Amino acid sequence: MTAPTLAIEDLRLAFRGHAGPTQVLHGISLDVRPGERVALVGESGSGKSVTARIVLGLLQELRAARIAGRVLFEGTDLGTLRPAARHALRGTKMSMIFQDPTSSLNPVFRIGDQFRDVLRRAAPGIGRADADDRAAAILAEVSIHDAGRVLDAFPFQLSGGMNQRVMIAMALVNEPALLIADEPGTALDVTVQAQTLHLMRRLVAEHRTAVLFISHNLGVVREFADRLYVIYKGRIVERGPTGAVFADPRHPYTRALMAAVPHLTGGGIPDIAEASPNFAAPLIDHGASA
Amino acid sequence: MSAPILDMRQVSKTFGAGARAVRAVQLVSFAVAQGECLAIVGESGSGKSTLANMVLGIYPPTSGEIALEGETLPARRRPAHRQAIQLVQQNPLSSLNPKRSIGATVRLALDVHGIGAPGARAGMVGALLEEVGLPADLARRPPAALSGGQRQRVAIARALACQSRVVVLDEPTSALDVLVQARVLRLLDTLRAERGLTYLFITHDLSVVRNIADRIAVFEQGRMVEIGATEAIFSNPRQAYTRRLISAVPVVTEQELALRDRLAADIEEDAS
Repeated sequence: MTAPTLAIEDLRLAFRGHAGPTQVLHGISLDVRPGERVALVGESGSGKSVTARIVLGLLQELRAARIAGRVLFEGTDLGTLRPAARHALRGTKMSMIFQDPTSSLNPVFRIGDQFRDVLRRAAPGIGRADADDRAAAILAEVSIHDAGRVLDAFPFQLSGGMNQRVMIAMALVNEPALLIADEPGTALDVTVQAQTLHLMRRLVAEHRTAVLFISHNLGVVREFADRLYVIYKGRIVERGPTGAVFADPRHPYTRALMAAVPHLTGGGIPDIAEASPNFAAPLIDHGASA
Repeated sequence: MSAPILDMRQVSKTFGAGARAVRAVQLVSFAVAQGECLAIVGESGSGKSTLANMVLGIYPPTSGEIALEGETLPARRRPAHRQAIQLVQQNPLSSLNPKRSIGATVRLALDVHGIGAPGARAGMVGALLEEVGLPADLARRPPAALSGGQRQRVAIARALACQSRVVVLDEPTSALDVLVQARVLRLLDTLRAERGLTYLFITHDLSVVRNIADRIAVFEQGRMVEIGATEAIFSNPRQAYTRRLISAVPVVTEQELALRDRLAADIEEDAS
């Protein structure tokens, strides 16, 4: 069995505040192996996005954040690295795709300039012509064939779907071992979202990239992920292969989430409580195999 | 069928002029019956927001006319027209004044439209908050103290305060978590039945539409390409565009997958 690209062990996070610390993560553990697509599913405030930020090393620099537990990236404990070493991993060995592509690209620089910045993270001495060739090659992989026009454009001159493809290309151009995708495509039309998922699926399979996919959309998770973790109020409540969890959701919270989704085949608006003491029930583990 | 509450007659909207003119909405006609929920679906750029803005009177149509309860609406709406048609927006955090308590926000709608005797309005605010399922003691809190679902309930209470008959719902639940979304959708459904409201439900979420709308109008690049009863649109979509929209929705059950696969097969048949 291959070693995991990312292993999170008993991760805890608290924010210091006026009224004492607020516990956000209560000890979560998860792993993602090379070429695997793993989803972290939960509602807003469940702790899924802060988990991603800790993996990227962005919260460690916040003085109010108290972090305990271990995050292992390719076997190295990120907690033992200096900030500069963590910084060097971002954009090279691990990268991220955000929810809204148009607002996460810099509006005042051309796509080509932003691409060169990304490439220089991994290869500081790369020349302009070489960089543009690399950019054109990866843009072709996301089905953008007029790379010259796109590299010369500002983000606002491209559609949301084009910007999303540019973001995916930028995130993958340095061949990262780990890709973190935070609700990619939810700001876009369903047709564009479907294309985005299809594209990501193909590219990460070809490059054997490990993907941590953060989402609240169960339909998208079902379509994209091999395995999933359901997170509720800073605790993992259910985990297992996507097929097994969807076929037989056993945790009360997972069941409520699934029951609350309106169906394309009708059946009315579900009558589900927003919260229940049952949601705090212990972890359900479906095991590793499908 | 009785006279429609809202009647769109050959409505068009063009922005700009000459070679650079953008024809955002082109010759759209439909009628909405009182108490009906009509969904307007389409991708971004299809003209659904332009259409909503014309219904609300934010700008007039370039050509064609809009009638409310049989009366053709003028380009400059009178207060009675504005009162009759209200809006609930996608993001309540940006549509509610952050400095104003939610009680004051709802109260303002009563004051502006002169609804009820001034002395009775405080009681009316309490009743409206209760009607949308908010505890009365929240009235003094600002929007920041509320959850996303509670804020959207405030926006709904404000729309109801004007004794509106038509409510334009612009993606009212797409910023909400799925458990919260279900509660808010049920509330909207209950209010429609109890108050006899008419909804124009603008969204790209076809799973929601399937379960709340009586009819669906599909928009593509400024034109209404299909309109019909919800059941009919889903069981037999006439336009390839409609089939593409439905078959792109991420789904969770085997039955939904089967529906999507059937539509996807139709799309391929069309193409060949």
